[in-house]
Amino acid sequence: MSRAPAPLDRRIALGLGLVTFVVLWATERPVGFVRDESVYFAAAEQFSRWWALLFHRPALALSDAVITQAFDFNHEHPMLMKSLFGWSHTLFYLTLGWVRPAAGFRLPAFAIAALIPTLLHLWGSVLWGRRAGLFAALSFFVVPRQFFHGHLACFDMPVAAMWLLVVYLFWRAEENSRLAPWTGVAFGLALATKHNAFFLPLVLTPFGVLAAWRSASTDGRRLLVRMGQVALAFIAYLGLVLLVKGRSGLVQSWQLLSPQTFGVGALVASLGALSLRLRRRDPAAFVPIAPLVAMGLIGPVVFYMHWPYLWYHPVERLAWYFDFHATHVHYAWTYFGQVLRAPPFPRAYVFVVTAMTLPVSLLLPMGAGIFRTGLRNLGDLIPALGRRFGRGGPTEWLLGVNALFSILLISHPEVPHFGGVKHWLPSMPFLALLAGREFDRAAAGLWSALGLTARRGAAASLAFGAIVLLPAFTLTVHVHPYGTSAYGELAGGIPGAASLGLQRQFWSNNVTGVLPWIDANSRTGARVWLHEVNGLSFRDYQRNDMLRKDVIPTNGPEDADLAAVQYHQEFREQEVLVWQAFGTWVPATGLYLDETPQVVVYRRPPR
Amino acid sequence: MNETVHRLRTAAPALVMVLVALLGLGFQLQLPRAFPSDADYRGVASALAAAPAQGDVVFLHPWWTERARLFFPPDLKVVGYLGHTADDLLEHPRIWVLANERLPRTPDADFRRNFLPDRIPAGPAQQFGPLTLTPYRNGRARRVVLSAADALDRLQVSVEGPAGAAAQPCQRSGSRVQCPFDASVEVAWHEVLYQPVRCLYVLPPSGGRTLSLTLPDGPAADALLLEAGISWEHAWFPDRAPVELRLESSAGVLHLGLPAGREGFVHGETPAVAAGPWTLRLTTADPHDRQLCLRLRALGGPP
Repeated sequence: MSRAPAPLDRRIALGLGLVTFVVLWATERPVGFVRDESVYFAAAEQFSRWWALLFHRPALALSDAVITQAFDFNHEHPMLMKSLFGWSHTLFYLTLGWVRPAAGFRLPAFAIAALIPTLLHLWGSVLWGRRAGLFAALSFFVVPRQFFHGHLACFDMPVAAMWLLVVYLFWRAEENSRLAPWTGVAFGLALATKHNAFFLPLVLTPFGVLAAWRSASTDGRRLLVRMGQVALAFIAYLGLVLLVKGRSGLVQSWQLLSPQTFGVGALVASLGALSLRLRRRDPAAFVPIAPLVAMGLIGPVVFYMHWPYLWYHPVERLAWYFDFHATHVHYAWTYFGQVLRAPPFPRAYVFVVTAMTLPVSLLLPMGAGIFRTGLRNLGDLIPALGRRFGRGGPTEWLLGVNALFSILLISHPEVPHFGGVKHWLPSMPFLALLAGREFDRAAAGLWSALGLTARRGAAASLAFGAIVLLPAFTLTVHVHPYGTSAYGELAGGIPGAASLGLQRQFWSNNVTGVLPWIDANSRTGARVWLHEVNGLSFRDYQRNDMLRKDVIPTNGPEDADLAAVQYHQEFREQEVLVWQAFGTWVPATGLYLDETPQVVVYRRPPR
Repeated sequence: MNETVHRLRTAAPALVMVLVALLGLGFQLQLPRAFPSDADYRGVASALAAAPAQGDVVFLHPWWTERARLFFPPDLKVVGYLGHTADDLLEHPRIWVLANERLPRTPDADFRRNFLPDRIPAGPAQQFGPLTLTPYRNGRARRVVLSAADALDRLQVSVEGPAGAAAQPCQRSGSRVQCPFDASVEVAWHEVLYQPVRCLYVLPPSGGRTLSLTLPDGPAADALLLEAGISWEHAWFPDRAPVELRLESSAGVLHLGLPAGREGFVHGETPAVAAGPWTLRLTTADPHDRQLCLRLRALGGPP
C-alpha cells in the first residue's frame, strides 16, 4: 500500500484546512486574551521591531547587545510562532489595516491549527479510507477545548499540529526517503514552536531503528549497533555527570567549552558518519532511519538559526531553557474538590480530565480506537491475542504510542498539572485518527447490515457521521468563546463539573463576558480591577475595542470602583477581599455559564 | 434468525455510537430545564422577605449556585462555599436551604451526611422553577453572647518578649491595632479553606515573641469557642512554623495548636466561664505565611 494520499483526498484535505482557517478566523472576535497570549503579543511586536531594524541597520541589529535586548523578553519560549504572530500583525493590521490587532497576531495560529484536519484527512484516508479521514478531521475541532485553543496566538495547538506533521512525515519518509529532509525541517520547526517537540526523537527513534534492523544486512546491523553504542556512551556520560554534580551542577557546567558540548558535537559527527556509511553499505537499512538522521542534523540547525537569542550564547541559554522547563513552577489546580498545589499529583488526572472534557460521542470512538490499537499491538507480542484481534504492525504502534505519549508524560506525578488539556494536546490528533477508524468500521458494519447500495451507503454514512458529531458540535457552539470552562456530558456539563469540584476555568479570558457590562455601567475614568487579567491583556482589550479606553486598571480592589473576580477555588480570598474593600457581598452582575459563576462583578457602593 | 443476529452484531458498533450520541444530545437538550430564571430567583427573594426573622441565613445547595446572590438584599447572609455542609452556622437559628436538585451531579449524599443532622424542616418547601426553598430549624445554633471581632476596640493588645521581658503595648491606627515586631490585629473578611469569615485578622510578631490580646470585661457564658485558621493559600505550606494559642479565662487554660500545613480552622471550647478577663496569647517561631484568622466567641444556650 502506498502511503501517498490520492489526488482527490489531497484536495479534500486542502479544503478542510481552508474551512478550518476561515471558521477559526470568523469566530475569534469574542475569544478573550489569555494571560500568556498578551505576553506573546507584546513579544511578537518587540521581535518585529527587531526584524525592521535588521532590514534598516543590519550591523546594529545583529550585535549581541541589541539581540539580547530584543529577545530577552519571554525567552522561555522559542521564536517561530511569535515571529509569525509579529509579522502577520505588522502586515495585516499595521500595514494593510485589514484586521483588528488581535486577529493580526492570531492569523498564523489559525493557519497552523488548520494543518491538523488537513493532515488527519491525508493520513486517515490512506490508512482506512476517505470516510475515516473525514471523520477524524471533522471530529478534531468539534471538541470545545480544542476549538478554543485553535484560536489562540499561543503554542499549544501549534505544537500539536507540528507534532502531527513530524510524525506524519516520518511515516511517509520511511517509505519515500525523499521526504526525509522535510521530516528534519518539520522537526526543526516543531522545536522552534514549543519544547514538547524535544520528546519527538524519543518517540520516533525506536520505530526507525527497528525498521532499519529488520531490513538490514549483517554489515548494516553491525553499523546500527555501533550507532547505538555511541548514543548510549553519551547518555551514560550525561548520567554520570548528573549523578556526580546533580541537576544544577550539570546545567551550570554546560558551557560552550565543556566536555558536554564536545560530547554533543562528537555524537552528531559520529552518528552522521556512521549513517553515511550505512547509506553506502546497506541502502535498504538506511531508508527507515533517514528521517531520524535528517531530524538529528537539520532539526537543531533550524532551531538554532530561527532564534537569534541563541546565536551568541547558544550553550548557556539553551541550558537555561531546558532547566526552566524541567523545573517549571506548579500552579494551583482544582481536581475533585482538592486544590492541587504541589506534586505528587494523581496519576489518573490526565485520563480523567480528558474523559470529562471530551463530548461523550467522541470519547467513545476515541476510547474504542485506542483500546483496539492496544489489543492489536499486544497481538504482535502475544500470538493468541494476535489470532483473536489481529496484529498491529509498525503503523498501529506508531499511532498508539503517539496517542498516549503526551498523556502519559503529563500523567507523571511530578510533572506540572495545570492548564487543562492543553499540555497533552499533541495526543489528541492521534486519538481523533483512531476515532476515525472506529467510525469507519461502524459505518461499514451498518452499511453491510442494512444491505445498502454504494450510493445509499454513502448517504447513510453521512447521516451517521452527522448524528455522532452533532452533540460535540452543539456543545462547542454552546460554550464558545469560554472554552476553558467546557465539560462534556460525562462530567454533567459545566454545572456537573462544578459540583464535582473540577477546575472552573483558567487563563482569565472569560472576562470578555462582563466587559460589555463594565463599558455600559461604569463612569468615565472608572478604576477597574480585572482579577487575573494582566496589564498587557487589559491594554489589549482596550486597543481591540472590547473595553472603553478611559477605564483605568488597578492592581487590587482597594482603590477600584469596579472589581471583576475570576472564580477559581484557589482564589477565593480575592473575592472576599473585594467584600472587605467594597463593604458588600452582593455582586452587581457576573458571567454565569449554565448557572456556574465564572466572573463575578462587584461595584463599590456610593460613599 | 441467525441472519438477524448477524446483522445486529454487524451494526452494533454503529448503533452504540448513535445511542451514545443521542444520549449526549438528550442531556444537552434537557440541561437548560435545570436553570432557574431571574423570575424564579425574585420569587425566592419575595418569599424570604415575606417571613423575615433575626439571624436568618440562606444556604445554597449545591454550594456553587451563587447567582442567587444577585437577587437577595445585602442584609441577608448567603452561605455557599466548598465544604459549607459541615458549617454549624451556630449564629443562625433558622436556615433557608435554597436547593436546585435538577442540576447534574448535585452532591446530595454530602448534604444528607453533613447538613441534615440536628436540622429539621421548620415549614413547607416552596418551589420556584427548579429551585426549592425550605426553612430548617438549626439544632446546632447557639446564642452568641459576645464575639471578639465585635469588641476590637475593647481589646488590650501587646507583644510579650521571650523569657519574661516587659510587654510592649500596641498602638491603634484607624481600624487597626499596630504592634512592634511587625504584628498587627484588625477585623476583616478573609478566607479560611474557602470559607469567607469576618474575623480577627492577626499577623503574629517576629522573633518567637507572643502576641497577647486581653478582653478585660468578658461576660459570663456557657462556653468560650476559639477557632483559628491560617488564611488563604498561606495555610497549605508544609514547611511553615506552627502556631500555639493559649486562652486564659476563669474556666482555666485552653491550648490550641495550629500545625504546619493545616488548612481550615482548629477549634477549642472551654467549660462555662464567669464574667471577667479573657487573655489569648499566640506564639510562632516564624510569622512568615502565618496570617491568622481568629474567632473567639462567648456562647450561651440554644437561642
